[in-house]
Amino acid sequence: MNFINKKMLGTVMAGLLAVSLSACGSSGNNNNGGNASAPASSPAASSSASKDTGSNEKVTITFQNIYPDQTDPKYKMIRNVVAKYESEHPNVKIELDSLNTDQQKLKLKTQAASKEVPDITIVNPSAQMQPFVDADLFAPLNEMVEKNGLKDTFQSGILDYYTFDGNLYALPDGNNIALVYYNKSLFEQAGAKVPTTFEEMVEAVKTLKAKNITPIAIGEKDSWTGSFLFMNVLLRTNGGPGFLKEVLDGKKTFDDPAFTEAVDAFQSLVQAGAFQEGATSFDYNAGENLFKTGKAAMYFMGSWATGGIETSDVSKDGNVGVFKFPTVGGKGDPNQFMLAPGSAFAVSKNSEHLEETLDFLNYFMLNYPKELFTLKGGVGLAQVVDGDFKAAGYSDMAVEVMNMFKDVKGGDLAFDNTMNPGTAQVHLSSIQNLFVTKKDAAEVAKEHQTAFEENK
Amino acid sequence: MSQSVSITVAKPVAETRRSRFTFTKGIVFAFFGILLVTQLYPLIWLLIYSLKTNEEILSGNFFALPSVWQWSNYSAAVEGGNYWKYLGNSVLVTSVTMVCVILLASLTAFAITRFRWKYGQVVLLIFLLGMMIPMQGTLLPLMIMFKNIDILNTHLSLILPYIAFQTPIAVFILSGFMKTIPQEIEESAIMDGAGVFRIFGSIVLPVSIPPIMTVCILAFINIWNEYIMAATFISAEKLKTLPFGVYSFVSQYSVNYGAIGAFLVLGALPVILIYFLLAEKITKGMVAGAVKG
Amino acid sequence: MNVLKVSRWTIAAFVLPCLLLYVILVFVPIIVSFYNGMLDWNGIGTSKFVGLSNFDKMFTNDAYFWPSVRRTFLLAGFSMLVQLPIALFVAILISRYVRKTGFLVSSYFLPVILSVVVIGQLWKTIYNPASMGGMINQILIKLGLDSWTHSWLTEPKVAIYSIILVALWQYLGYHILIQFTGIQNIPADIYEAAKIDGAEGFKADRYITLPLIVPIFKISVVLSFIGSLQSFDLIMVMTGGGPAHATDVISSHMYNMSFLSMKYGYGSAIACFLVVVCLAATLFINLLFNRLDKRFS
Repeated sequence: MNFINKKMLGTVMAGLLAVSLSACGSSGNNNNGGNASAPASSPAASSSASKDTGSNEKVTITFQNIYPDQTDPKYKMIRNVVAKYESEHPNVKIELDSLNTDQQKLKLKTQAASKEVPDITIVNPSAQMQPFVDADLFAPLNEMVEKNGLKDTFQSGILDYYTFDGNLYALPDGNNIALVYYNKSLFEQAGAKVPTTFEEMVEAVKTLKAKNITPIAIGEKDSWTGSFLFMNVLLRTNGGPGFLKEVLDGKKTFDDPAFTEAVDAFQSLVQAGAFQEGATSFDYNAGENLFKTGKAAMYFMGSWATGGIETSDVSKDGNVGVFKFPTVGGKGDPNQFMLAPGSAFAVSKNSEHLEETLDFLNYFMLNYPKELFTLKGGVGLAQVVDGDFKAAGYSDMAVEVMNMFKDVKGGDLAFDNTMNPGTAQVHLSSIQNLFVTKKDAAEVAKEHQTAFEENK
Repeated sequence: MSQSVSITVAKPVAETRRSRFTFTKGIVFAFFGILLVTQLYPLIWLLIYSLKTNEEILSGNFFALPSVWQWSNYSAAVEGGNYWKYLGNSVLVTSVTMVCVILLASLTAFAITRFRWKYGQVVLLIFLLGMMIPMQGTLLPLMIMFKNIDILNTHLSLILPYIAFQTPIAVFILSGFMKTIPQEIEESAIMDGAGVFRIFGSIVLPVSIPPIMTVCILAFINIWNEYIMAATFISAEKLKTLPFGVYSFVSQYSVNYGAIGAFLVLGALPVILIYFLLAEKITKGMVAGAVKG
Repeated sequence: MNVLKVSRWTIAAFVLPCLLLYVILVFVPIIVSFYNGMLDWNGIGTSKFVGLSNFDKMFTNDAYFWPSVRRTFLLAGFSMLVQLPIALFVAILISRYVRKTGFLVSSYFLPVILSVVVIGQLWKTIYNPASMGGMINQILIKLGLDSWTHSWLTEPKVAIYSIILVALWQYLGYHILIQFTGIQNIPADIYEAAKIDGAEGFKADRYITLPLIVPIFKISVVLSFIGSLQSFDLIMVMTGGGPAHATDVISSHMYNMSFLSMKYGYGSAIACFLVVVCLAATLFINLLFNRLDKRFS
């Protein structure tokens, strides 16, 4: 019965929506190309937009997002915040266009090509958002982020990944670090020791393997997973962050010993049988599930996985522990992490309702951490969360992960956030290849170097 | 020629040709059975899948039944996947597209095969050329075109390209069939004083029901699950189609497989029901069409 | 010879709506793609006209292009030479032995209706390594054929064949349906006449069914070719083109280049190649079947 009522309510809502849309006059379309070609600089844009303020004109803001799944805390979060905002601003309607990540990327690229970017969209940091910034599609958020003290809610330094030539173009939905989750009882069962060096990790892999336990779970069909692990090895063999940066600056090439050592170390892991059979056909979820169902002893992933692992069967009775990725060949510092600044909200420069959109995003980001914290999605945010995680019912493991954040002394971004897409694709498939074929490190290096030069 | 004339007296083949050798028959039926199992199994598998938890699904135990039947997957599918709304939109888009495809393509096929004019074969060739063009390749140009005529984010932005992409194969199949309809039919119709439109509407179209059915099925399976175009051109929640529902259980770092399974069952069931009902019609339609012709 | 003499306006009324819609929405974009194929463009920012250099690179300097073409044709070849004959054989058997055909033909058709997402997931669990519960490998081990086990989707040499098998299986019922429809349309009196002449059973099939089914078989060939060239979803679901491009086909390579590597111009060049191959194939198939038609009639 309840369900039917909800549905009826939905129908009524849809009707109201139709009315409000026709009143709006410009139909459901977010931003027609009318002002698409106007090369408005940021002050001009905000002054022209300020003319609209105060009017009670019906406004529809399209918010493209990647939270379509009900079981994701962000699904509820986005709907809660939007509902609150809409009740405070009755003239504003937020249209959520929720898509799965892959499809959103494809859609945004197609939209960008025809200068039809939705009012709010989602992009990845650094190199991945560079082409959009170069095409002058996003509105700068410099002024907006100063309002209501929004800027101070962000962790220091995090916004740099979204800043180009002094202009901030997007606000991140998270900030994560890479770490290794491990299954305590499986380690015990095999008599393996929690590794403090990479060499011990290879030993642990062999010990586990000998007991017929899959040592490390990975979802290498999504090839970024393997690359993420490989890059952490490289972060160590390079003795610190910045290898790719130096390649970009022409100070190093991929033939550098740091890189070939990393390839060799990574291969030693593969050759020791670290990963499940057929790893390259497991997608991210299938890979993670091996760990969650207690079939694999270790899982290397970004801290965003904490929430899912915490609620799975395997982490009952504090059975899951975490450790920092160890040193490789005595090199590197475990307190330097693979950093994963999250995907981020950007505003279309050509938005018809730029003023309202910026106002909404400001409100949204201010409420974001609070709302997620209460929905148990508080680990790995880019903003400072006030609140006691332990008291709010987060697990010991989650608290341990949160504490790890405090140790962070810099690190590297993922390969595809540093290099351009062309080079990144070659890299991803080159690393994926290491899972199925043993390769000479020099050859892998050459493959990278050629791709890098071709895609400059 | 022999083929076209004899359409008039066609009877189902199966009735007149039946083997008396039970041994061969046994082997043949065993073969049918095996094939039946392999082709039906996915559906059963999907039904079981839709009642499992994520962990059970991902653990990959092929024959295992769920330990607890997860009926909640279905409520998640109906609510979280906006099943009814998306189903309505899918039915609307698909049916409008199919009606248009059949009408437009049969008119064209009729003109190509029955009118006396110079360019019939040229038109056919133009359609043949486009038969194999992949949809993905046209995504961006279409986006720009639709933006300029301001139909993005409407059902029209799906229906138009769907029609356009289904017409080549429809024209190809229908013209192939209409070519074989004996000319005597039109000749006698003209004698009776029937106009072109009447010949088309009350003679050729009814006879063409079997190939039209084929076209329907082809068009249907191409459109019903189409996602790339839909996801790109449609942004408004109230306009989205069924494939959106499937992907609404996929978030950045997790997938709700059970709900996807349930949603796929819900999405496929009406289709399967209609299809099995239609399957009888297809055979009947064929016979009827043949007798009338 | 077509009999109906009609005015131009009538012809226009019959042909133009369909033709215009089709030309504008399918043909024009493809012409645009040919132009895009000559750009150095990431799909978002500014573009640079580079003439035919994308095509040059594609043909001479892309390690993954020709292998992806080869795999596409491999799929098409298997589909036409293995799947279609089996489908025809089954269709003939059904029409000969089964009285109520509706259920059987419909059931065989089912996998086509189910979404590729389901099909892909199902077969992934079948193909899994034995340690992950993969059915094929477990059966092989039970039969004592341990050495035959493979990691079916991740060994570069085997993976593409594993996918081809799934594609053949999924669309078998589709072609059974089409060809069965064709056989049903063959008038029974022809068979009766042949019976009097002493042609029955497979002999009748050889001299009557095969020649008369040629036009329908052509539809099957065309559809299987289209399906093979556009096979994209299944590969994306099962392997994503991996490991390391070992299962890339033309369409997945195009997608990869256009949208992942963000070389939209280059991706468009691949799309153009695909279109040209399609054109050549359409003409070839038509030519071939016109000949067959003539030979049989």
